[in-house]
Amino acid sequence: MNVFLAGLGLILAAGIGAALVRGTRARAGDAVYQILLIIGCITAGAAAGRVLALGAPLSLTIHGAMPGGDWVLGIDSLSAVFLLAILGVGAACAVFGTHDLAAERARGRRATWFTQLSFATLLAAIALVVAARTVVVFLGAWEVMAISSYVLIVAHHEEENVRRSGLIYLVATHTATLALFAMFATWDAAASSWSFDALAAAAPSLGPGATIAVLLLALVGFGFKAGFVPLHFWLPPAHAAAPSHVSALMSGIVIKTGIYGLLRVLLLLGGAPAWWGWLVLGLGVSSGVLGVLWALAQHDIKRLLAYHSVENIGIILMGIGVGALGVSYHAPVIAMLGFAGGLLHTVNHALFKSLLFLGSGAVYRATGTRNMEELGGLARRMPLTWLGFVIGAAAIIGVPPFNGFVSEWLVYQGLFSAGQTSEVSRLAILGIPALALISGLALACFTKVAGVVFLGTARTAHASDAIEIPRGNYLPALALAAACVTLGAMPALGIGLVSATVRELAGVGNVGLPAPVISGASMISLVALSTLALSTLLWLTRRALGRRWTARREPTWACAYDAPTPRMQYTSSSFAAPLLSIFGPLSGVRVERSTTAMRTHASDAVLDGVALPLWRRVHRAALRLRGLQQGRLHLYLLYVMAALLVLLGYLAFGSRP
Amino acid sequence: MTSFAELALFLVVLSDFAVLATSRLSACIRAIAFQGILLGALPLLIHLDISGHLVVLAVGTAVIKAGVLPWFLRWAIREAAVRREVEPLIGYMASVILGAAALAIAFAVANALPLRMVGTDLLVPVALVTVMIGLVVLITRSKAVTQVVGYLMLENGIFLFGLTQSERVPFLVEIGVLLDVFVGVFIMGIVVFHINREFDSISAARLTELHD
Amino acid sequence: MTDSQSGVSFTALAVLLIAAPIIPGVASRTKAILTGRQGSPVWQLYADLWKLAQRGTVLSTRTTWIFQLAPVVLLATTIVAAALVPLDGRVSIVRFAGDAVAFAGVLGLGRFALSLAALDTGSSLEGMGASREVTFASLAEPGLFVAFATLGVIAHDFSLSAMLGDAAGRVGASGGAGPSLVMVALSVFALSLAECSRVPVDDPSTHLELTMVHEVMVLDHSGPDLAMILYAGALKLGLFSAILMNVLVAASGQGKWSFGGAAIAALVASFVGMGVSIGVVESIVARLRQPKVPLYLAGGSALALFGLILVLR
Repeated sequence: MNVFLAGLGLILAAGIGAALVRGTRARAGDAVYQILLIIGCITAGAAAGRVLALGAPLSLTIHGAMPGGDWVLGIDSLSAVFLLAILGVGAACAVFGTHDLAAERARGRRATWFTQLSFATLLAAIALVVAARTVVVFLGAWEVMAISSYVLIVAHHEEENVRRSGLIYLVATHTATLALFAMFATWDAAASSWSFDALAAAAPSLGPGATIAVLLLALVGFGFKAGFVPLHFWLPPAHAAAPSHVSALMSGIVIKTGIYGLLRVLLLLGGAPAWWGWLVLGLGVSSGVLGVLWALAQHDIKRLLAYHSVENIGIILMGIGVGALGVSYHAPVIAMLGFAGGLLHTVNHALFKSLLFLGSGAVYRATGTRNMEELGGLARRMPLTWLGFVIGAAAIIGVPPFNGFVSEWLVYQGLFSAGQTSEVSRLAILGIPALALISGLALACFTKVAGVVFLGTARTAHASDAIEIPRGNYLPALALAAACVTLGAMPALGIGLVSATVRELAGVGNVGLPAPVISGASMISLVALSTLALSTLLWLTRRALGRRWTARREPTWACAYDAPTPRMQYTSSSFAAPLLSIFGPLSGVRVERSTTAMRTHASDAVLDGVALPLWRRVHRAALRLRGLQQGRLHLYLLYVMAALLVLLGYLAFGSRP
Repeated sequence: MTSFAELALFLVVLSDFAVLATSRLSACIRAIAFQGILLGALPLLIHLDISGHLVVLAVGTAVIKAGVLPWFLRWAIREAAVRREVEPLIGYMASVILGAAALAIAFAVANALPLRMVGTDLLVPVALVTVMIGLVVLITRSKAVTQVVGYLMLENGIFLFGLTQSERVPFLVEIGVLLDVFVGVFIMGIVVFHINREFDSISAARLTELHD
Repeated sequence: MTDSQSGVSFTALAVLLIAAPIIPGVASRTKAILTGRQGSPVWQLYADLWKLAQRGTVLSTRTTWIFQLAPVVLLATTIVAAALVPLDGRVSIVRFAGDAVAFAGVLGLGRFALSLAALDTGSSLEGMGASREVTFASLAEPGLFVAFATLGVIAHDFSLSAMLGDAAGRVGASGGAGPSLVMVALSVFALSLAECSRVPVDDPSTHLELTMVHEVMVLDHSGPDLAMILYAGALKLGLFSAILMNVLVAASGQGKWSFGGAAIAALVASFVGMGVSIGVVESIVARLRQPKVPLYLAGGSALALFGLILVLR
């Protein structure tokens, strides 16, 4: 445990180091930051890995008169899995971000050390959230995580768009914290102390009303952070506005803390009633479908990737929903399959989503724009970025031999086995075509992104003048890509990683994962490797024989048209148009026509339809309360004193023990 | 020992009323400094077991509350060149009557509150009185320096409360003292000096111009 | 899997690899006969493949390595998918729980590669083809999965070998799942027409770029690359015909073949049957307009959904 804390300390030291060594010695500061942060992540990650390997959870209690009782930290298998993902992806994003910030420094931005410091703080806070075992530590780390995320999102605060996105994010995350406060308060009323063990012990004695309240508040609080529909509306603006390495961390890791929270609540409660599992499954399906649909309509790369995070959270929720259903129907096999799929997809998504965001960061740094309609043909100018991006795209659409396929396969299995059993849960089998729809739409969307951005020819000067980022800078992304391929070709690794946690969540003690899963994992390896081998064989054969065949280079056939221009290529909006028009108003695309022009605009249904009107209504009501605030200090203090007297009176004469 | 503690508490209440009644700023500051010394001595008077930790705490409290903070306040008065307080919003007579009413409320409420009594059972009512009179000073005075004195009195009251809990949460008292230092530097440096510089006056009534 | 069984499976795979190209030939021959023409011979695709393999390739100046990699990936994934389907009516070469998902996934990889190659050319025609292809595919996939889910519920197993292979026949007959299986067969046929780019979703014989879907997507490929793509298309048709045959046999309630020879013969017969059915459909029905295709796909999926509901009750 001390090793873990030492690792966190090193991470914080990295940030402080970057803050101290700045200005003219900024490059040394960068080196200090990277080295300390990587060592810190490895150290803390080693502690987490040890927990998983040995199966022995760690715990540390800091006694003392801290507010809220003792402070307890602990790493069990659930925390360990998340920690490995957090630290691994965090290190990659930090290293990539350092180069990004160095480039910005060269362009004249100052105070990049502040971004480094906030990033280190954020990473340490996330690790602490996952390792917290009392309410106070959890909520404290949660708040630090939220605030440092906000600071990072508004790094480019000179743009009004960025400030607005940051504000929306702040509102959403504090609503989440409020819900979490309410949840813990409800729960604590029945518990003896504020540690998670006490909460777990008090779970059986919670009344039905309190249990419903806790479950729903958990869903709202952690849901805002995870970002499933309809609590997702802060995600796209925030992830698009933040610097790329921050978006990578946020999409890959920060939203997963919401998933972690849900799983932890599930563990502490010892299972949830069936209606909760169905609710989560339904939310998962709707998030998945709507997320990818809205992603199709975007033309900003990062907004598109952010909506894809919503979709993948939907898939994760489907897995968790199936798992929860398995637990409530006392079917351990279903529970294990569902949780395995959800948890593995969490890890996988962290890997390939960060990879994709880092790729988009590289594109932005090279071209200066995030608008897909202005790019094109970058595969020739940025081959390394293209390689990483296409691996990430193939991974996210869930095809073998990449890792997305493995977790989706597990979720399919879970849905199918749920559909096999008792009468009610047979409905779960309808999740199978839903997941297939999600995968199909994801394939369409990423064909669009990869094709429009990297393939074809450059549509504007942004793309034709792009300069590839230095190869060394792209190493973290390539490391993530390698991880995607490895986990895809050897699913046994991924499944082994999460098996201890899955067993704990499903409540089956030392029973192993079902045999079909283990044998299936090795068979998937066979499929993956044979695909790779066969492709390589055919490719080599073709190259060998191809020397006999002449290969001429001619311009692309344009139906005998003599002067094709880059603007004649398919744009991203036109690529997605057939699919979006099928879904009609659900896709959120608004079309504005005039006599000479047509413009499509992708709007977010929840943000524009629900959140903003609600905000405006609250604002109007708050304006009416303005009369109470006249700027006179004495009046405010009078309010404070009056409140104090009322409370004293209530304490003294009101509540009688 | 309790009689000494009770004497100290009685003197604390007197110093509260002194701040309420006087119109000279230096007298206010002297009163709060005196209160600081009393508060420094109180932990030693209440707890029968004198440990090194406790002595350090007492001396530190006394130094900060009776030495550092009043020095800051006097420096602020010199820089801003003020001498007398203007008539408070409700008049000196009414302030003292309000203080007396606060005393009565405090004693009435303290009996009904489910607090554990440590040392002497005067501690809780005196803490309540100090808090309330501090609030009254904050509300009714217009010069920023006096308001800072009122805030310090509020803090002293909270410190007194902390003494009743100090066996279970010894940390809390120390953190409270640290807060004092923070408050002192923050309020003094920024509020008084900047108000004086920005608005050519440290009259809190002019703060109403900040609202939209 | 016993040696003799695996031997039959490998033989079936070899038969698929050799005989699948007759399906488009049979289809066009059927269409020709029905419309009173002579038509091209049944082995036309073999001749085309041979001709293309001899030729050189013309590559666009805009394309990158993915353009040349895509046909290779397409062919490789189609062959791997063939290893997952029980071509001999009993077991597939590779099988595991949930391999139906792997089947769809592997075919998806091929489609992804080909769509990227289409966009690689930077041509508006190919972009249009890729756009339509992924649109129709994303709507056809759920229907296919509903069909798989139905088969899985009937067979109590989510592996293609169990759904389509040995056990299916017995369970189908005894469980009274006949009507359900017929629905599934109709649905799979309708959706396979979409997946393999046949009428009424796509017309492989049209030469107008604006009306093509799959054909326009591979417009720029030439020589051996085009040969690989055409061959992979034929293989895919063969896969779906094998699937359909197994479903129909299960629906009829008969037992499975008692020896390997009959299985191989049945496989070849399914190719011919598929070709004839496609030819008949192409003669009777015209290609649907673009906005109608989603309705068609939804209809196909609905058939499978009815089958699922029937069997879930």
